Amino acid sequence: MKSPGSSNAVPLVLAELRRGEAGVVDGLAPIGLGTTTEERDSMLARLRDLGFIPGARCEVIARMWFGGDPIAVRVGGSTFALRRVEAAAVHITRALPLAAGATA
Amino acid sequence: MDAAVNLRPLRIALIGVPNCGKTALFNRLTGSRQKVANYPGVTVERREGERAAADGRTQQVLDLPGTYSLKPTTLDEAITRDVLLGRVAGAPAPELVVCVVDAVHLPIGLRLALEVKSLGLPMVLALNRMDVAKRRNVKIDVARLSAELGVPVLPTIAVRRGGADALIEALEPVHWLQHRSIAAPAWSEPSADDAEQRQRDLRGVLEAVGYRAPAENQWFERLDAVLLNPFSGLLILIAVLFVMFQAVFSWAVAPMDLIKEGMAVFGAWTAAHLPEGQVASLLVNGVIGGAGAVLVFLPQIVILFLFILALEDSGYLPRAAYLLDRLMGGVGLSGRAFIPLLSSFACAIPGIMAARTIPSWRDRLTTIMIAPLMTCSARLPVYTLLIGALIPAKSIGVFNLQGVVMFVLYVAGIVAAVAVAYVLKHFSGARSYSPLMLELPDYQWPHLGNLLLGLWERVKIFLSRVGGIILALMIVLWFLSSYPAPPPDATGPAIQYSFAGSLGQLLEYVFAPIGFNWQISIALVPGLAAREVAVSALGTVYSMSAAGNDVSGQLSPVIASTWSLATACSLLAWYVFAPQCLSTLAVVKRETNSWRYPIIMAAYLFALAYVASFITYRAVAAWA
Repeated sequence: MKSPGSSNAVPLVLAELRRGEAGVVDGLAPIGLGTTTEERDSMLARLRDLGFIPGARCEVIARMWFGGDPIAVRVGGSTFALRRVEAAAVHITRALPLAAGATA
Repeated sequence: MDAAVNLRPLRIALIGVPNCGKTALFNRLTGSRQKVANYPGVTVERREGERAAADGRTQQVLDLPGTYSLKPTTLDEAITRDVLLGRVAGAPAPELVVCVVDAVHLPIGLRLALEVKSLGLPMVLALNRMDVAKRRNVKIDVARLSAELGVPVLPTIAVRRGGADALIEALEPVHWLQHRSIAAPAWSEPSADDAEQRQRDLRGVLEAVGYRAPAENQWFERLDAVLLNPFSGLLILIAVLFVMFQAVFSWAVAPMDLIKEGMAVFGAWTAAHLPEGQVASLLVNGVIGGAGAVLVFLPQIVILFLFILALEDSGYLPRAAYLLDRLMGGVGLSGRAFIPLLSSFACAIPGIMAARTIPSWRDRLTTIMIAPLMTCSARLPVYTLLIGALIPAKSIGVFNLQGVVMFVLYVAGIVAAVAVAYVLKHFSGARSYSPLMLELPDYQWPHLGNLLLGLWERVKIFLSRVGGIILALMIVLWFLSSYPAPPPDATGPAIQYSFAGSLGQLLEYVFAPIGFNWQISIALVPGLAAREVAVSALGTVYSMSAAGNDVSGQLSPVIASTWSLATACSLLAWYVFAPQCLSTLAVVKRETNSWRYPIIMAAYLFALAYVASFITYRAVAAWA
């Protein structure tokens, strides 16, 4: 049951950001990565280790063809290349691109 | 504390996330007093060095593989964790850990430092790249950081002479004697709550020391805008690869000729000074010929690795892997496979060894399996001989026919490699996903000292391991080609009567359908030592005198007048695929820790070679 005006949108993921767009990480959700639960958990833990934690700002600085596979994303002062499936596990809220960075 | 314990060298280990400058710091601490080996049972590099403390006592420094966390995702990272925990046979737990953290990218390094600290080992933190941090407006309260962590924090600038002095002072044994213990540290896998707590702790420390993300560097942004753009990025990558190729093949010509001349002179001198006989033959043909076969490729290896190390140091290589990831993934290769495959164009052996950087075992194995299909420079003497002898030097439009054939041979190798990778991807069992999640580090000017040290290391490995194998094989094959000696009334070339000759005559039945005559069949036996040996082996079979170093020039007219075009083309096709290089197979055995893979490799390559030769021979014979 939805009250009028509430959003029923599909959560926005990092994979959908265009070049130059930024977002704030809400959390991670597993999306068909790996073949075992252990593998999936391991990859999510690694994403966290790299800095994709709730509250972290991330900005896409480059996208390859085929719908962004991979993308280059800046988070916590470092830059990483993520494949589309990996970026699709990062849920974000859109944020405005800033000139200066914030605390990690 | 036990006096004997104090006399043992202090065991120091360097740990840090990739790209933090840990290896540069390791170089600064140990200089050239380093050696590279393997951890027992695995092909993970064990980089160890020694340094002298101020009082002259030795300290052992271990450069652990870079890792983002003590919860490993690759074999490298598992080794790092296991060494810290003292779980690796022959590598006792370190007594002091130097956690190297890049000041510019403090959060990611500090997160690992907090994990390492929880192990309870004595620890210092080396806060590296303080100079860059200052330029990027990153301010860190070092004293506060030390207080928050409870460990000494030493600012370092690893690439500057004297930049590690503060750290060196802190490594003085006097600070650590009372901490030496024999209890192994304990670690258990962190739960989700532990991980979150650690994140909170991290955020607290970062706030306390006043860390702010680095100011954007305009040059980096501009470079990335061009180098990561799909179109301009790939174009520039192709240009870079082209320049590398040109450099490797054209700059190396002069030094290679020099080496060939040198070996020929040395061989002639040896032959002149020894009584004629088996010993002289062994030394000149077996040993000097063997050493020459290895040394002649040294200029190419040096130039190739100079480029690769410079590109690596500059931060460009991960960006190339980013650009190629999807394209290579489509044929079942990791984006990181492109450096090993590129190296294989000079020689598959360093290429296969470079495949260690590929985290996924299956991707790594695929890369190793197809590396020999990259046209290595050892094939060039064979190609040059055959093309020069039998392909007419005509022009087709603006293209030289001989050049076109050479190009076709190169392309055939690449196409075959892609096809084999594709087949491997689709016809082998369950596929687990191997993540990319690759860091694109800051750009930096390559540091000459680090480049030279890295180059020296590669050269040493090539010379000692490869040289050892090739030399041994050349001697064995010399033996097989010289014994039994021909009877006094022999009419044919001596080699016909030897073991190699008998083997070749048997092989003639196998090779007749693909157009190889008995001379080729025999020459392919010693030709197993290394690809370029085929030329001198043919020279031996055709009884050319080995005095001049231009066997090729003497052979050319003989081949041109006695071989058919179909035979020559068939042999060319054979050389595109056939593993006429036992050293490559030996290295594959080392790198995969098993006999299975080199045997599979030899089998599939010989099979492909036979089929390709068969088709080529029949087609050219029918058409020409």
